[in-house]
Amino acid sequence: MSSLSPKSPDQSEKSKKYDRQLRLWGDHGQAALEYAHVCLINATGLGSEILKSLVLAGVGAFTIVDGEKISDEDVGVNFFLDPDSIGQPRGEITTQLLLELNPDVRGDAIDESLDKLLTNNPDFFNNFSVIVATRLSEKEIITLSKKLWEADIPLIVCQSIGFIGSGRLQVQEHTVVESHPENQNPDLRLDCPFPSLKEYFDQIDLEAMEFKDHAHTPFVVILYKYLEKWKKLHNSSKGPSNFKEKASLRELIKSGIHRDEQGNPLAEENFEEAIRAVNYAISTSEIPQSIKDILNDGSCINLTGKSKPFWIIAKAIKDFVENEGNGYLPLRGTLPDMTADTAKYVAIQQLYRDQAAKDAEIVFRRVQQLLRQLNQPDDTITENEVRQFCKHASSISVIRGSSIADEYTFRNISQKIVTDLESPHNLMVYYVMLRGLDRFYSEYNTYPGVYNDQVEPDIVKMKACISRLISEWGCSSFSKDDFVHEICRYGGAELHSVSAFLGGAVSHEIIKLITKQYKPINNTFIYDAISAETATFTF
Amino acid sequence: MIKLFSLKQQKKDGEPTPRSGNQKKASAAQLRITKDINELNLPKTCNTEFPDPDDLLNFKVIICPDEGFYKGGKFTFSFKVGPNYPHEPPKVKCETPVYHPNIDLEGNVCLNILREDWKPVLTINSIVYGLQYLFLEPNPEDPLNKEAAEVLQTNRRLFECNVQKALRGGYVGSIFFERCMK
Amino acid sequence: MSNSSSSQGHDSSSHRWNHLKKVLERPGPFCHPEFECSPETLNFLMSSCKILVVGAGGLGCELLKNLAMMGFKHIHVIDMDTIDLSNLNRQFLFRQKDIGSSKAEVAAKFINARVPGCNVVPHFCKIQDFDSDFYRQFHIVVCGLDSIIARRWINGMLVSLLSYDDNEELDPSSIIPMIDGGTEGFKGSARVILPGMSACVDCTLDLYPPQVVYPLCTIASTPRLPEHCIEYVKVIQWPKENPFDASIDGDDPTHLNWIFEKASERATQYGILGVTYRLVQGVVKNIIPAVASTNAVVAAACATEVFKMATSCCKPLNNFMIFNDIDGIYTYLYEAEKNENCLACKPSSIPKYLKLTSNEMKLQELIQLLMDSPTFRMKNPGLAVNIEGKNRTLYMSTVPSIEVKTRENLKKKLSELDIHDGTKIMIADATTPNTIEIVLSIPTFMEMSNE
Repeated sequence: MSSLSPKSPDQSEKSKKYDRQLRLWGDHGQAALEYAHVCLINATGLGSEILKSLVLAGVGAFTIVDGEKISDEDVGVNFFLDPDSIGQPRGEITTQLLLELNPDVRGDAIDESLDKLLTNNPDFFNNFSVIVATRLSEKEIITLSKKLWEADIPLIVCQSIGFIGSGRLQVQEHTVVESHPENQNPDLRLDCPFPSLKEYFDQIDLEAMEFKDHAHTPFVVILYKYLEKWKKLHNSSKGPSNFKEKASLRELIKSGIHRDEQGNPLAEENFEEAIRAVNYAISTSEIPQSIKDILNDGSCINLTGKSKPFWIIAKAIKDFVENEGNGYLPLRGTLPDMTADTAKYVAIQQLYRDQAAKDAEIVFRRVQQLLRQLNQPDDTITENEVRQFCKHASSISVIRGSSIADEYTFRNISQKIVTDLESPHNLMVYYVMLRGLDRFYSEYNTYPGVYNDQVEPDIVKMKACISRLISEWGCSSFSKDDFVHEICRYGGAELHSVSAFLGGAVSHEIIKLITKQYKPINNTFIYDAISAETATFTF
Repeated sequence: MIKLFSLKQQKKDGEPTPRSGNQKKASAAQLRITKDINELNLPKTCNTEFPDPDDLLNFKVIICPDEGFYKGGKFTFSFKVGPNYPHEPPKVKCETPVYHPNIDLEGNVCLNILREDWKPVLTINSIVYGLQYLFLEPNPEDPLNKEAAEVLQTNRRLFECNVQKALRGGYVGSIFFERCMK
Repeated sequence: MSNSSSSQGHDSSSHRWNHLKKVLERPGPFCHPEFECSPETLNFLMSSCKILVVGAGGLGCELLKNLAMMGFKHIHVIDMDTIDLSNLNRQFLFRQKDIGSSKAEVAAKFINARVPGCNVVPHFCKIQDFDSDFYRQFHIVVCGLDSIIARRWINGMLVSLLSYDDNEELDPSSIIPMIDGGTEGFKGSARVILPGMSACVDCTLDLYPPQVVYPLCTIASTPRLPEHCIEYVKVIQWPKENPFDASIDGDDPTHLNWIFEKASERATQYGILGVTYRLVQGVVKNIIPAVASTNAVVAAACATEVFKMATSCCKPLNNFMIFNDIDGIYTYLYEAEKNENCLACKPSSIPKYLKLTSNEMKLQELIQLLMDSPTFRMKNPGLAVNIEGKNRTLYMSTVPSIEVKTRENLKKKLSELDIHDGTKIMIADATTPNTIEIVLSIPTFMEMSNE
C-alpha cells in the first residue's frame, strides 16, 4: 500500500481519533489541550459532565477533589457512578469511570473536602491550568476565589439546580490571538494598496481587454480601478462613505460591464461581485477601535521583564503600525475566492502573501529587539507565533476579568442588577435567586425545600435571605415571589439534562481558556431550561 | 397549548388504527417528481423516455435542436433523481458524445442550475429548458471542453465545421464522435 | 408484565430518583397550566412512556444517557452505522474495542448496564426498514441525525400518522412530537415539532444550507482553491480514469491517497497552495467538524424538551433554539412558522378520502370521477400508487412514453391493479400545486352484507 503512494502522509491513530476537532482548533490547539491539567471540585452530575467533554477531547490530565461518599441521589444524576458503588468515595469512582472514555488521559481523585484540603495543603491548586467547581458554599467560593485570583489561575464556579444553571468565570487577564471570528471582512487594502499591489493594479487596463479577459479579472482589480475613478470624479481623497456615495460607486462599476450589439449588458459575474463588495471591501483598512485599545493598553506600552509573549508581540505590532505600517496593521495575507482565471487570481494572491510575509518579518525583528531589551531569551517567541499573530491582528482579544470575592463582598454591583431586574423577562432574576441560595446554604447548611414538609417555611426563610442581599446591594424592594417559590420547590435537586447542557457549555469555555482560541464568556452565564433561554452578564 | 399525554390514556399498544391503513407514506421526493413529470411541458424539440414507467426517478431526455450550430443533431441525457429531491438537483449526464464547450467527453454538463445555482423551486422542466439553451448558445467563457471553447472563440466558422463533422460521425482533431443525426 | 411493573414501581420509589420527584411531585409557578403534580408522572415515565431515539452518533449517545438519567426506561434506538475511530472524540459510549460494531447495539448495551432498570432496545438498520406500525408505538421521537434526507423521512412518517375526523379536525392523540437536534462545529440547534400543528422539517427546508458546490467550469478550467483541485479529481478525473475499478470510498486510504496525489499534481500545475491530506479527506467525505461539547449541549436541550413534553411539567420550547459558543455563549429562540405550501404537512397534503362503491370499478372510471367530481374537478390527473414500498405509475396522459406503457391499465378493474379499501393514491394534476394523496374507501364484502 505504501509503495503505491510513497508521498502519502502517514496519519497517526491520534490524528484520526481527533480528526473532527482538529479541523476546528488545529494541531497546536490539541497540543495545548494535551498539556493541560484541570481540577474539578465536587463530582456532582454537573461536575462529571464538564469533565466528560474534556476527557473525550483529550485533555492531558484531571484531578477531582471530593470528600463525599456516593448516595442514592448521586447515582440518579451522575452518569459516571453506578448503583454498586453506593457508599464509596464519589471522586474516585467518577475518576475511574471517566478514565474509561479515553486512554490518552490521566486522572486522579483526592478524597478530601475542599475545606480540609485548603487547610492541609494551601498551595494544592497552584499547578493546575484551570479549576472548575460545582456546589460550593458562599464561604468556599470566596476563599477559593481569593486564592486563585492571587495565583492567577482561572476559576469557573458553576451551579445546577432544578431548571436553572449558572457559570461564573474568574480570570485576571485572558488574551486570545485566534478568536475565529465569523463573517470577517477581507483585508484587501484597496484604499491604501501596498507598493507591489499598486504597481500590479496600475499596469492593468480594463478598457483595453477582450471580453474573456475582462470577465475573468478578479473583482479586487475592478473595485480598485473604479474606486480610483470615483475619487477622481468626486475630487475626493477618500472613498465613498455614506449610502448615497456607495450607490454612485456601484453605478459607476455597473457602467463598466461589457455590452452586446444591442446594448444589453453581458453576464460578468466578477463585476457583480465587485458591486456586492462595495459594502464590505473598500473601507476596512483602518484599525478597529478594539484593537487600538489593546495596542494602547498599559500592558502593551509598559513592557517589563515579566511581560507575556502576547504583549511583547502586541508592542512590536504597535511599533510596526507607527513606523513601517504607516498607520495600518500587518497585512493578513489571504484573498477570498472570487470569479477569475487561475493565473490572475494566483498572481494577486501571491502579492498579498508576499507582503504579509514581509510585514510579519519586520514585526518578528522588532519582537527580537524587544526580547533583548527585556532580557528575555530570544527563543521565548518563535517566528511562527509572530506570523500567526500578524495574520489575526485585527481580531485579537483581551478579557480583563473581575474577582468573584469582590463581587460577593463589595456592594457596587447593585445598579446593574436593578436595571436588569426592571425589564420583565430578564434572567438576572435567577442571578439573584442563586445568590440567595448561596446565602441560604451558608446560613442553614442545606438547600431550601429539601424536605417535603419544609417547603413553605423555607420559602419564608429564602425570602428573608434575598431581602437581606438586596438591602446590602442598596436596592429597595424585590417582588419576585414566584421565583423564590420555584427555587425552593427544587429542594436542591439537580436535573441531569440541565447539568448536561451546562456541562457541555462550561467544558468548551475551559477549552477556550486552555487553547487560547475563541472568546470565552465575560463573565457570568445563566441558563433557564424552563424557557430554554440563556444570558451573559458582566460583573 | 395542548397537553399531549393525559396519564389516563397513556398506553400505546401499537395497534394499527384501521382507518389510516398501513401504507408507507410516499416520500416528499416521490410526490414532487410525480408532479414534475405530470406537468412536463416541453418544446417540440425535446422528448422524454421512461424505460420503466413505474420509476419516475430515472429517465432520459432527448433533445433535437431545430436551430443553431447543433440543428439536426439528437442528444440523449440521463436524469437520476435522488431521495433528497428537490433539496438537491438531479444528476444529469449527456450520453451522446458531443463536441461542445460546456459538455465534456465524459458527459459532464456545465449548467449552473445543475450545481451551484440549483433551487428547490426549479423543476425538471427548467433543467430541460436550460439544456436546450446550451445547444442554442454554447458559452465559451467557462468551458469544460477547452479545445472546443477556444475554437468557438477564435473561429466560429471552424467551430461550425467541427460541430457538423462530429454530428455526422467522424474525427475532430484526434477524437472520434459517433454519428448522432436525428 | 406484572413482574416488571412491580420492580419498576419499587425503583420509582427509591431515593435514586429524588431529584426528579422534586420537580414532578411539587407544584410550581412556571409549570404547564395543565400540569398535575403527582407520583403518577414519574410512574408514567418509567412504566409506559416509550421514546424513539433516531441516530446513535454524537447526539444519539448523549440523548440515550440523558433520557435514561431523566427516568425514561422504554427507549428504542435506530442506527445503521458502525463505529469508526473518528467517532471516539465525542461518541462516549464507544471504546477502541468497539470499532466496527453496530452503534445502536453497543450504545444500548452500555446504557442498560450503567443504568439498571433502563431498557434500551437497539435496531441496527435503516429507518426505512420500519413501517408505520413501528413508529406509531412511540410517544415521542427524538432525532440526532446528520442527514437531511433521514430527517425529512422521519418527519414525513410522523405526519402520515396523523388522523383527522370527518370535519378535518386533527385528532391530538395521533400526534407524535418530534424533537430534532443538529450540530456543526460550535453551532447547534434544537427544535420541537408537533406534526400537523407547528412548523415541520419540510416547512423550513431553507434552514438546512445545501452543501457547498463549486461550478463545474471553475473546477475544470479556472481552479483557484485547493478544494477546486480536489473536486476536479473527484468529479472528473476519477470517473475518467477509474483507477481502482470502483466508485470512490472515502474510507479507503488507497483511494484517498490517489486523490491526494492527483489533486496535488493539479495544484502544482496551477500554482495553487494548500492541498493537504486532511483537506482531501474533508472534501471527499464532506466532513463536518464535531466536538463533544456542542453535542452535549444540543442533546441536553433536546432531552429536556422530551422530559417537558412527556411530563407537562413546563411548556415546551416554541419552537426553535439556535446555539453558538464561538464568541461567548449565545442562544437565540424563535418560532419557526408553518409553511402553508409545505409539501409534507400542509393540510391539503393530508390524505383525503374518496368513497367508491366497489373495486370492480375500472381505472378509467376512477379518472373520470376525479375529473367530474365537484370536489376535485381535475384536468389531466397522473396517478401513481406505492405498493409494498415500490412505486407504480397507474396512468399518466401527459408523458407519451409513460402513456403508452400505462394505457393498458385504464381498462383494468381496481382490484386487478391491487387497489383495495384504504389504498393511498398519489395524484398530480395541473389544478393543485403539489401532488395530493387520496385514500380510497371501498366498502368490503362484510360491511355490505351488514347493510
